[in-house]
Amino acid sequence: MIEFYRVSKDYRGRRVLKDVSFQVRRGEFLFLTGPSGAGKSTLLKMLFRAEKPSEGNIVVNGMNVGGMPVARVPELRRSMGIVFQDYKLLASRTVFENVSFVLKFLGVPIAERRRRAYQILRLVELHHRLNAYPEELSGGEQQRVALARALVNDPELLIADEPTGNLDHRLAEEVMKLFTSVNVRGTTVLVATHDQELIRHSGRRCLTLDRGRVIEGLVEAALPPSAVHRLDEGRTPLDGGPGDYRPPLPRV
Amino acid sequence: MKRQTSMAVSLVDEAISGLWRARRMTALSITLIAVSVFLVGAFLLVAENLTGVIETVRDETAVTVFLKGTATEGDRLSVERVARESRLVGAVRHVTRAEARDRFARSWRSLAQAAEGLPGNPFPESIELDLTAQGVGSAAVPALLRNLTALPAVEEIQFDVEWIRRLRGVVAIVRVGGLGLGVLLAFGAAFTIANVVRLTILLHRDEIEILRLVGAPELLIRGPFVLGGLAQGALGGALALGLLAMSFQALLRYVASTHNALLGVFVVHFIPATTGLGLLIGGLLAGLIGGAVAVRKKNIQT
Repeated sequence: MIEFYRVSKDYRGRRVLKDVSFQVRRGEFLFLTGPSGAGKSTLLKMLFRAEKPSEGNIVVNGMNVGGMPVARVPELRRSMGIVFQDYKLLASRTVFENVSFVLKFLGVPIAERRRRAYQILRLVELHHRLNAYPEELSGGEQQRVALARALVNDPELLIADEPTGNLDHRLAEEVMKLFTSVNVRGTTVLVATHDQELIRHSGRRCLTLDRGRVIEGLVEAALPPSAVHRLDEGRTPLDGGPGDYRPPLPRV
Repeated sequence: MKRQTSMAVSLVDEAISGLWRARRMTALSITLIAVSVFLVGAFLLVAENLTGVIETVRDETAVTVFLKGTATEGDRLSVERVARESRLVGAVRHVTRAEARDRFARSWRSLAQAAEGLPGNPFPESIELDLTAQGVGSAAVPALLRNLTALPAVEEIQFDVEWIRRLRGVVAIVRVGGLGLGVLLAFGAAFTIANVVRLTILLHRDEIEILRLVGAPELLIRGPFVLGGLAQGALGGALALGLLAMSFQALLRYVASTHNALLGVFVVHFIPATTGLGLLIGGLLAGLIGGAVAVRKKNIQT
């Protein structure tokens, strides 16, 4: 799903990422960690072409991200869901509008937009706050709206930059449960976090960056957790079930 | 097709929502555009009516040669012959004393009865000479008037050529000055819209950034701003036209209430429908240009 080949990034002559190479398999759940200034956010930004690599190649879902023309960047971004540390919600729009506008510019009819937005908000248990504005929500609720927005388009890749950075431990766990359930449906998840306890607790593969270099975690896990996770229905995306079957997401 | 329709609907929906969310800014923008278009419209209205005045004055560019009461038919014909021989004269009209009284009665209805009551007909017989367009400004006119005055049957000649020349000069200045002012105001309107839209973009910088990050197509990011500018221009133009019509009606009512015959000559009609449509399209174009200028890459880059 994600391939980095000897990627480096310079900012005004300062190298912030140095010769980074790694792969993330489809359906995998990967943590990205490291101290502040290690290059985590830069690496994530390069995944959705908010930054271009100075050297090397990045391939996301078969698309050469670094070399793609600017006109194709929106298409790349629409194929993934992005959760930002500061949520990046539209303050002037309601919860429902924040979630559904992603579908709006995909040309999804209004009735379908309503249905899907409601469904995903139900998943994050915010369906009762459809008409609330972001400023009326707690930090955890805002984070869940951001997650709902990232998921409403049913992306193949979910990227989250410090999604639990502003949350207390209990809310952080809630959000992580959501990520896990999304991953169970077959979505590749990449989460950048400082929270070592969270990483240890999850038992997932973790890539550690320090001063722009990958210092740990290049060895892949034997199997992505989604492959071994069993739901009540008894099927997972890797079971070879019918077509694009994805089991419904459990509620947090 | 369904997807395209849905996208188009979304585009319009976003434009309307954007205008509504920034409604104070929108109202300010529409007001500024309306003021600009109103000023252009007011100029056009004045120009239109000045043109009417010129037409009226052109009708008045006739030289009126009043004949003495003792003038015979032969005297009148000789005056007419002198006039017809001049290349400055376009047409010659004989006004009998009876016709002169009828004209007075038509023009001054309240005094018509008084005129009827006078013994005999006090109105003199006259010959009206319409000057050609070249004739009005020609230096040879005084010589023609001198020749006519020298004829024995002529009592008096009425023709104020200097006044007409000055009026034409004033109208020419108003036209050229007004045209310059109109162009300036049109640019001003476009500039206003561009800045208002740019300000709106600055206010929505975060929103634009988020839209970009979640993969919104450029059409849906820039399109609503351009459409918004267009709508503001159209609304501003329509508002200006409405205000212009109301002001014109108020002016007409004022003139009617003053019973001033002179003012009645000047305020004659509203701008033609084509000019009104032009103003509306002008506002629309100013909005479109303003919106398009505001969403240029360097302004909308986040």
